Amino acid sequence: MKTAHAAQVTVSRRHTSLWAAIWKNRIVYTLLIPGLVWYVIFAYGPMGGLVLAFKRYRANLGIWGSPWIGMQNFQYVFVDAAFYKSVIKTLTINIGRMVFQFPMPIILALLLNEMRFTKLKRSIQTVLTFPHFLSWVVVASIIINLLAYNGLVNNIIKLFTGGTIFNFLGNTQVFIPMLYVTEVWKNAGWSAIVYLAAISGINTDQYEAAEIDGASRFQKLFSITLPNITPTIIVMFILAMGGLMSTGFDQVFNLSNPAVRDVAETLDMYIYRITFLSPPNFAFSTAVSLFRSIVNMVLLLLADRGAKMMGSDGLLG
Amino acid sequence: MEVINKPINRRRLNHVKVSDVVIAAILIIWGLVVLLPFINVVMISFTTEAEYASTKVFLFPKRPTLASYQQLLADKRIATGYKNTLTVLLMGIPLSLFCTASFAYGSSRPNFPGRKFFFYFVLFTMLFSGGIIPMYMLMKELGLTNTLWSVVLASTVSTFYMIIMRNFFTGLPDSLIESAKLDGAGDWLILWRIILPLSMPIMATITLFYTVDRWNEWYNAMIFLQKGSLQTLQLVLRSIVLESRVDSIVVSEGGSIMYDKQNFTMGLKTAAIIITMLPVMLVFPFLQKHFVKGVLVGAIKS
Repeated sequence: MKTAHAAQVTVSRRHTSLWAAIWKNRIVYTLLIPGLVWYVIFAYGPMGGLVLAFKRYRANLGIWGSPWIGMQNFQYVFVDAAFYKSVIKTLTINIGRMVFQFPMPIILALLLNEMRFTKLKRSIQTVLTFPHFLSWVVVASIIINLLAYNGLVNNIIKLFTGGTIFNFLGNTQVFIPMLYVTEVWKNAGWSAIVYLAAISGINTDQYEAAEIDGASRFQKLFSITLPNITPTIIVMFILAMGGLMSTGFDQVFNLSNPAVRDVAETLDMYIYRITFLSPPNFAFSTAVSLFRSIVNMVLLLLADRGAKMMGSDGLLG
Repeated sequence: MEVINKPINRRRLNHVKVSDVVIAAILIIWGLVVLLPFINVVMISFTTEAEYASTKVFLFPKRPTLASYQQLLADKRIATGYKNTLTVLLMGIPLSLFCTASFAYGSSRPNFPGRKFFFYFVLFTMLFSGGIIPMYMLMKELGLTNTLWSVVLASTVSTFYMIIMRNFFTGLPDSLIESAKLDGAGDWLILWRIILPLSMPIMATITLFYTVDRWNEWYNAMIFLQKGSLQTLQLVLRSIVLESRVDSIVVSEGGSIMYDKQNFTMGLKTAAIIITMLPVMLVFPFLQKHFVKGVLVGAIKS
């Protein structure tokens, strides 16, 4: 009886201390409110709307009034050939990105690090960083201007071939390589900064010791610089793997045109098409979109786990 | 950029080696590949159709003209685009900054009940989102489609920037607040008099990031705004350059290049590109180091 009483006292004391802690931190909660309201309405609100994936959408009944149909939408998704094609397209493009795009910022960082003419180096870096801050609408406009029949690149080709011109923009063979090149053109300078920061963190003693031993520039590059930034490279690689099913809607959407639709239909583009260009079936689109979100989440969680195993803080801190 | 100064090379600055020249050459070529398209766009925008047609390779207008710009600005869409984008900035940036900074500071405080919960609540939105259709329906239900508020509210808080700010606040020394408390300052006074002035650099960086993001935003605007009078600048550029490009390809099929009879299409398009990126182009060289600082803070901590 006595012990029970004592326990009750502790519990109520714990309660009061929780309330006291909350009251003590009332400024914290006040500060959280504006952001929290936004997150609840505009980040979690749409997540609630995902129930549409399990319903047959009736515009007059709204999301909540529409009848439930279970997994039927998903059954349609998983028999849609265009869906599978777009998934495979996305994976192929992104594997290509890993091979052709991913090493470029690393190579650029190494080159910049070895560059000796400091003023020139700074100007080049400014130029290479700039396009990152433009939208893909602007960049695609510039690229299309450049590659048009009467654009700069075709003018140069004309000069060498005596009049023949090359169709870049409507060419299904060129489209995917063009994605890699334009992405490097736009973002390599910016992505290189992370590697440059990693290089600047290397202890200079190592280079001095190597110099005394008479190591050449390439020996230093391959036995000091590269091994030292390898952890950064691996973390960046794993994080890039997290985006294997997405990335690049802005780029693909703005660079593509009907002539290359067949090779440009990634999962994001497929979702866009079935949502906004075909007779709309919002429930079906939502089902595909939910599938993509879940796959992306799983990939990101795996990437985070992977990055943490490499000793980084990972995505989620 | 100071981060990449490497002391090693300074010692041998006197003799330039072959490898130095090769490295410099590669970087110069890389730089030119990025720079030339911009210069080309600028040049075309200032040239006449006749001169452009007669150029063999690279254009340098002998008699620069503003004709393309005049024609472009006669089209009211550019002015409308500028007005709408600036409105979105004016409505959105203060709101974004207020929500982001106050949430970041609040959640950075140690030991308040629910600290972990609130953080993971927000972090989850980085992993998973409802996607565009539920978002569109929400906007519709709230009566926000075809108002600029839909664009503002769809992306008010960036969780990534919030975390960058939170890391900044977490890094502030506790002693700062403790000593102010001993002097009898209340929580709000500390926030107002000590934390806020100290956080001006991070505020400036995040403002910069939000501004650039808003300037470049087009997808939400494309989905939520159907009225022509509400088009943002990026969408105006899209409609001028990208949506009309298919016709120009068809017209020139077979190698013979034909221009629009009335206007110099390419001049108009390049002028539109320049006008859209002008503000970013003008401020970038001066603010470059702030951008870099921002990404490094993010890269190290998140």
